[in-house]
Amino acid sequence: MRLPGHLPLFWTICLINGVVLVVAALLLLLSPARVSADAVPSEFVVIGAGLVVMILTNALLIRWALAPLHRLIARLEGIEHLEPTELPEEGSGPVLGIARSVNGLLARLAEERRTGDARALAAQEAERHRIAQELHDEVGQSLTVVLLGLKQVESQSPPALVPELAAVRESARAGLDDVRRVARRLRPGVLEDLGLASALAALATEFADHSSASVRRSFAPGLPALSPEAEVVVYRVAQEALTNAARHADARSVELSLQRLGAHVVLEVRDDGRGFTGLTEGSGLMGMRERAALVRAELSVISQPRHGTTVRLKVPVDTTTEASA
Amino acid sequence: MIRILLADDHTLVRRGVRLILEQEPDLSVVAEAADGAEAVERVRDTEVDLVVLDIAMPRMTGLQAAAEIAQRRNPPKILMLSMHDNEQYFFGALKAGASGYVLKSVADEDLVGACRAAMRGETFLYPGAESTLVRDYLDRMRRGERVPTSVLTAREDQVIKLIAEGRSSREIAKDLHIALKTVEGHRANILGKLGMRDRVELTRYAIRAGLIEP
Repeated sequence: MRLPGHLPLFWTICLINGVVLVVAALLLLLSPARVSADAVPSEFVVIGAGLVVMILTNALLIRWALAPLHRLIARLEGIEHLEPTELPEEGSGPVLGIARSVNGLLARLAEERRTGDARALAAQEAERHRIAQELHDEVGQSLTVVLLGLKQVESQSPPALVPELAAVRESARAGLDDVRRVARRLRPGVLEDLGLASALAALATEFADHSSASVRRSFAPGLPALSPEAEVVVYRVAQEALTNAARHADARSVELSLQRLGAHVVLEVRDDGRGFTGLTEGSGLMGMRERAALVRAELSVISQPRHGTTVRLKVPVDTTTEASA
Repeated sequence: MIRILLADDHTLVRRGVRLILEQEPDLSVVAEAADGAEAVERVRDTEVDLVVLDIAMPRMTGLQAAAEIAQRRNPPKILMLSMHDNEQYFFGALKAGASGYVLKSVADEDLVGACRAAMRGETFLYPGAESTLVRDYLDRMRRGERVPTSVLTAREDQVIKLIAEGRSSREIAKDLHIALKTVEGHRANILGKLGMRDRVELTRYAIRAGLIEP
């Protein structure tokens, strides 16, 4: 049953009360029941019963009128933190109004969160970039100078000093290796220097170096260019998915692919590992989702126990950049 | 006498490299450049046999400079010097026309050898790239894919597995109780048999194996 038209809640309740009172008054007038000047006990009973019926009817009707509001509250509580869904815009009067404004609010919040996240992640990437660059350009170069200088000194020093100098030189080399490793983890230089496919290929090699699983890669040739932000997102999602595969999945083989599907570039990381039930929104998956949302990409993770995990990222191709590329 | 052009944007690194090279009587640094564009210009106005290019340089990267220099008629040999321990850069360097890739962290040990190898017309594979290539080869063979067929000796078979594990020549020599020189010999033979001897072969292999884009 629906309330007639778009009656405001106030008038709905007034109307209910009015109708109940009118019915009661009519009953009093038309039925044989009378209240004498000196009320007798039987009249008390009739009036009392009539009042109870009136109050109950009134309560039931108001409850019915307010029911959509309660349903709305229940739905509001059910809205998921991660992927807010829109409220169904149904009902009438105030309920419809609330649903509409809540939807508006959700959309605004999502948009604000997206821009906020985007700003935070962009700031983080920029900072990482800067640190990695400084490590390479400053610390790395200084250590290279030390390394080469020591080699030079070693060749001219008395034999007694040579073992000591060689040991110091090895320390400098280890330092240089560390700097390089840290810088690489902070920011994949290969992404900027050689592009996405090379960066993913390098990830695959790195994965193979540190895992017993074998990696197959297939990158479709001539993929449309993505924005630098989208490339970083694809890279980081692939990195995270491979890290998960290496750490938790116990996989024997992993497939890493990048191809075009209509107006999307699709990254897929598929392993044949353990898989898991019930998506635990661990920090890894959450991070992937957040990053995907930044470039309006869709992330799906399909996992079944003993049937491996597939992480899929669909990035929309920006047709404007494609045209200019 | 091998005449060398040295390009690196860090003056002190350049000085360090120059000192290492000039300890050798047959190597002489005849020109220096602080970025890729300057390196290309120096090659134009100076006669050199070998160019040593840093990968990360302002204005024009080492890879771009290498590609430009390799386009010349009778180009000098090119060696890349890099911070990046990443086979993608190595293949990038080969594609650009370089015949070797030396990591800065082992430049004190490897640079001189790489210069001589380049002048002999050989490719200087840095150890990381070598183990990546060899491991990929073994993986493909295990999966039953078609790979350049070759017959390795029992010893070479032992050595190739150790290379795939990323062991250095010195470690391999110690493990197998053989001389370092012998290990180097095995490595060269293995690469030759796998069709990874020179720049062209290596690039072709890497493209076929899907390690790099064509």
